[in-house]
Amino acid sequence: MKFLCLIHAETTVLDRMTPAEREAFDRDNLAYARWLDAGPGVAGGPLDPPATAALIRARDGHVSVTDGPYPETKEHIAGYILIEARDRAEAIEIAAKCPVARVGTIEVRVAHHMIPDDRTG
Amino acid sequence: MQYMLLVHVDESLIGKLTPEEGKANSRECFEYDRELERRGKYVASNPLMGPDTATVVRMREGKLSMHDGPHVETKEHLGGFILVEARDLNEALDIAANCPMAKFGSIEVRAEMSLEVEERAP
Repeated sequence: MKFLCLIHAETTVLDRMTPAEREAFDRDNLAYARWLDAGPGVAGGPLDPPATAALIRARDGHVSVTDGPYPETKEHIAGYILIEARDRAEAIEIAAKCPVARVGTIEVRVAHHMIPDDRTG
Repeated sequence: MQYMLLVHVDESLIGKLTPEEGKANSRECFEYDRELERRGKYVASNPLMGPDTATVVRMREGKLSMHDGPHVETKEHLGGFILVEARDLNEALDIAANCPMAKFGSIEVRAEMSLEVEERAP
């Protein structure tokens, strides 16, 4: 069963760390990424800051592109981890190990495979 | 370079589809993914269960807290994601514009950040 862990954090969270704290934080993140790679991780990584986001909408055949992010929030989506876990309890256990869980918020969502009812068309 | 396409869905638009239209849309999304795969642009994608099924996890001073989500209440909710490999932002935007779900919400395009972490001996 796949779960998407959305990593929400404030943009200023890294700026508030002392150099020593930042170094330890980076080290923890690298160790966590390695652990994911060797086990439950499917894909994942940090995303560029929300100010760089673009929003695309298609309405009545017309495509509009505006600068993002969507939505504007105190914490933003700073990264994501796609994992394979037995159940929600295991997914939460994996999410709780993420170093960003200490300074931000991890949102755990069940991810489905896209399988249409009729694939013969 | 990898780009994350966050698919925010407007329930008021997708909710208007008849069951047949819904099925046709799912098939279109499936075909869209396969087309990206054929072009070597596809990395991963998944629709997500509704925001009311989300769990929010935080760790503070070694103590784990959990509560029912979603983390942010919005008119459009995060209904899925598509991770693509694109040359640049323009190509990523082009891919997003062709996503069938762009008709029923907003696709947020975010570049993957490259983390430069020095390798340190343990």
